[in-house]
Amino acid sequence: MSLSVILPLPLPAARTGPGDREVRARVVMITLAALLALTAVASLSTGASGASFGAALSALARGDALDATERVILFDIRLPRLALGMLVGAGLAVSGAVMQGLFRNPLADPGLVGVGAGAGLGAIAAIVLGGLLPAGLAVYLGHYVVPVAAFLGGWATTLLLYRVSTRGGRTSVAVMLLAGIAMGALAGAVSGMLVYIADDSQLRDLTFWGLGSLAGATWTKVLAATPLIGAALVLAPAMARGLNRLALGEASAAHLGVPVQRLKNTAILTVAGATGAAVAVSGGIGFVGIVVPHLLRLLTGPDHRYLLPNAALLGASLLVAADMVSRSIIAPAELPIGIVTATLGGPFFLWILLRNRGVLDL
Amino acid sequence: MPLASPLARIHLALAGALLGIAFAAAAHAQSYPEARRIVSVGGSVTEIIAALGALDRVVARDTTSSYPPRVEELPDVGYMRALSPEGVLSTRPDLVIAEEGSGPPETLEVLRAASVPFVEVPEGFDTEAVADKVRIVAATLGLDEAGEALVRDIDDRLTAARDSARAATGDTPPRVLFILSIQGGRILAAGRDTAAAGIIDLAGGQNAVTAFAGYKPLTDEALAAAAPQVILMMDRSGDHAADDDALFAHPALTTTPAARTGSVVRMDGLLLLGFGPRTPDAVERLSEALAQTVADAE
Amino acid sequence: MTLIARDLTVEAGGRPILRGLDFTARSGALTAIVGPNGSGKSTTLKALTGDVAHRGRITLDGRELAAIPPTELAARRAVLPQAASLSFPFTVLEVVRLGLIDGLEAAQRHLPHDALARVGLAGFEGRYYQHLSGGEQQRVHLARVLVQVWTPVTPEGRARWLFLDEPVASLDIGHQIEVMTLARDYADAGGGVVAVMHDLNLTAMFADSVALITDGRCDAQGPPARVLTDDRLSRAYGCRLRLNTPPAGGAVYLLPQAAGGPGEAGL
Repeated sequence: MSLSVILPLPLPAARTGPGDREVRARVVMITLAALLALTAVASLSTGASGASFGAALSALARGDALDATERVILFDIRLPRLALGMLVGAGLAVSGAVMQGLFRNPLADPGLVGVGAGAGLGAIAAIVLGGLLPAGLAVYLGHYVVPVAAFLGGWATTLLLYRVSTRGGRTSVAVMLLAGIAMGALAGAVSGMLVYIADDSQLRDLTFWGLGSLAGATWTKVLAATPLIGAALVLAPAMARGLNRLALGEASAAHLGVPVQRLKNTAILTVAGATGAAVAVSGGIGFVGIVVPHLLRLLTGPDHRYLLPNAALLGASLLVAADMVSRSIIAPAELPIGIVTATLGGPFFLWILLRNRGVLDL
Repeated sequence: MPLASPLARIHLALAGALLGIAFAAAAHAQSYPEARRIVSVGGSVTEIIAALGALDRVVARDTTSSYPPRVEELPDVGYMRALSPEGVLSTRPDLVIAEEGSGPPETLEVLRAASVPFVEVPEGFDTEAVADKVRIVAATLGLDEAGEALVRDIDDRLTAARDSARAATGDTPPRVLFILSIQGGRILAAGRDTAAAGIIDLAGGQNAVTAFAGYKPLTDEALAAAAPQVILMMDRSGDHAADDDALFAHPALTTTPAARTGSVVRMDGLLLLGFGPRTPDAVERLSEALAQTVADAE
Repeated sequence: MTLIARDLTVEAGGRPILRGLDFTARSGALTAIVGPNGSGKSTTLKALTGDVAHRGRITLDGRELAAIPPTELAARRAVLPQAASLSFPFTVLEVVRLGLIDGLEAAQRHLPHDALARVGLAGFEGRYYQHLSGGEQQRVHLARVLVQVWTPVTPEGRARWLFLDEPVASLDIGHQIEVMTLARDYADAGGGVVAVMHDLNLTAMFADSVALITDGRCDAQGPPARVLTDDRLSRAYGCRLRLNTPPAGGAVYLLPQAAGGPGEAGL
């Protein structure tokens, strides 16, 4: 599914230069909003059961009662799943774009601030050691032990990394990058130990968690993830100008009046919150955070004032669409969504890269 | 047990809580004799339903349910621990019977919300566990009599198979190493409290690995120290002769007695480890194979 | 209105780079900082712009520089770094627009184009920054810096400032003169300009005041004719230098002083 097919816009030619991209960015924004609306409706109407959302709505409008199964499928499965897909997709894509802007590197992803490794460790610990929790806590958390642990793991790792790389009120992005690699290795080692003591069925759970899925979508998860991912989506536009100027380097950004340290604080904390929440509720869905911002940069340029909202829209559409594939391709079973994003996204991304070598060499 | 009075059920529940989860589950088994659209989750559960002659009441199964062969014609709702909520509901089930550990919990929650009855069947790796499973499944389906008959049948055959197996191997049970996988030269072996250990014991062998519980990678030295006389593996399609060569080319395995005699037994995974109605057959075949390889070695 | 630095001290890795340096720049004037390699020219500029930690006092119009809020400072002062990096494929126009101060964009839409024309890059708006030559990139950044402090004097009558770190380092002689004339005009219109310079000819030609830095101290500051003497330059640069002396034996030499105005081919 090529964007230039969906949008009647040529990708910028590498040599002559793209001209003024602001108008194009606005057109893309409107198109992506329409695309998201379409994907959302399609997602609500697609599923193994063949239950129809339109039919249900008109039944409700007529005042007819839905049968229990239909009600559950539409309101307890598809709706929370759609909401969670949009939240997670938008959250991951915006987090990726913010991190790339902050680290001034198109390959940066939220994993760089330790969220991925920490959340993974939290989830593995919960799956393997969940039985050791105090009974009261275990009952209270119920089957939300894994998402809660994943979120706490991701958040704690980021805070630690942030402390390590901040001296005298200044955060060194380079130290953070290197410390992130060290922490990732450490988290990997501890995860490895936990995997070693895990039993057969826990190993299966770990594998499925790592592949990511929206199958466990519940309203509770949607409500828990909304404030954290919502905060990132709301604060992102306020960061856009600062991130644009950060492309000139920290000193130049500061001379342009950007409160660089405050920008770093906001970016790191909101990304940690949003990515932590996304990973917690959906497991390891990779790819969205790097591919979506990259595609949009090729299409409308690196201006974060357009990149961030467009990334939210495209990320949401992409994940909702991928989820549709994941739950219909081998219905009534479903494919983990991480497999879908990787198998569809990987070759497409490669094709885009090859087609745009000229721009990428910049 | 479906007819127990409320008071008796409370007593039973208390007793169950004290005596262990397996018993509690048995005590609680609900009966759904009317159920005609059953989703069966877990290979052994599906086999038990088939053995009870109730397969026509099943409308869908999970990925691990592959026997008898005609269940493969039924829609597959996914791996038992990663069931798709809408996938299960789309089959319009009036009952879900699932092996212990099926999930994820979110899917079970959705089933509850949709008022689909859900019965969990406890897992276990010995004779009693098989009987418990059969009783619970039978009670759930409202086939208690057929269930008791099946329990007796399995028990008789299992006792016979086990006795003849023990008679064959006598005081020197062969040391058997079950290898789950040998991916990348790393040997994942079965320790204590596994289905593999259970079936090896029933078939008159002794598990060569007792240092840990569950399936874990085995170091090369521990492998040599385990000194297995027979290697037991799951059957996969492909060239077994070549597989055996590759297996014994593994440096740590070359020193074992099993390598010297080339003793490898391969059996279908579900048959071997399912702990269901076919377990007596599995014991019979495994013990024959063990006796054969031991005899060949001598 | 003046920028005054007193007793500036900067250390890097335990080694002193600046040792109690004094420096003064007036608005309405172009103040050049010259000196041999490693003398602390660029460090002086970085201390003046707050990019390196330093001891000593810096005041702008009598106000402690560190006490001025960043956004207020950004509206008063722009800094052109020696080597500007840029991540992501921005176009020339997008880079220049980064210099627009928040909130005034609608009113200033034409400014980036004017600034590009001013540095000789009219028509480059839609090109990728990364496709330009080093000298063109340097001038894009100059345009960006100009946009930030476009009018040399604020409506309240305060001077705006340009801090330029080797603004002509990678430019050909034509563009060197063009850029220096631009800086000169900015000062003439009432703004303040502080520039780190390597080229002593251009310094002598355009600067009102020259600060000669040697070994982390200001050796002398004043009008070029007073600071740039044979003795002082010879001592500072460690080789014998003579002003206003044609080469022996009639070798060819070229002085920017003899060039015409920017854009004048003069044929």
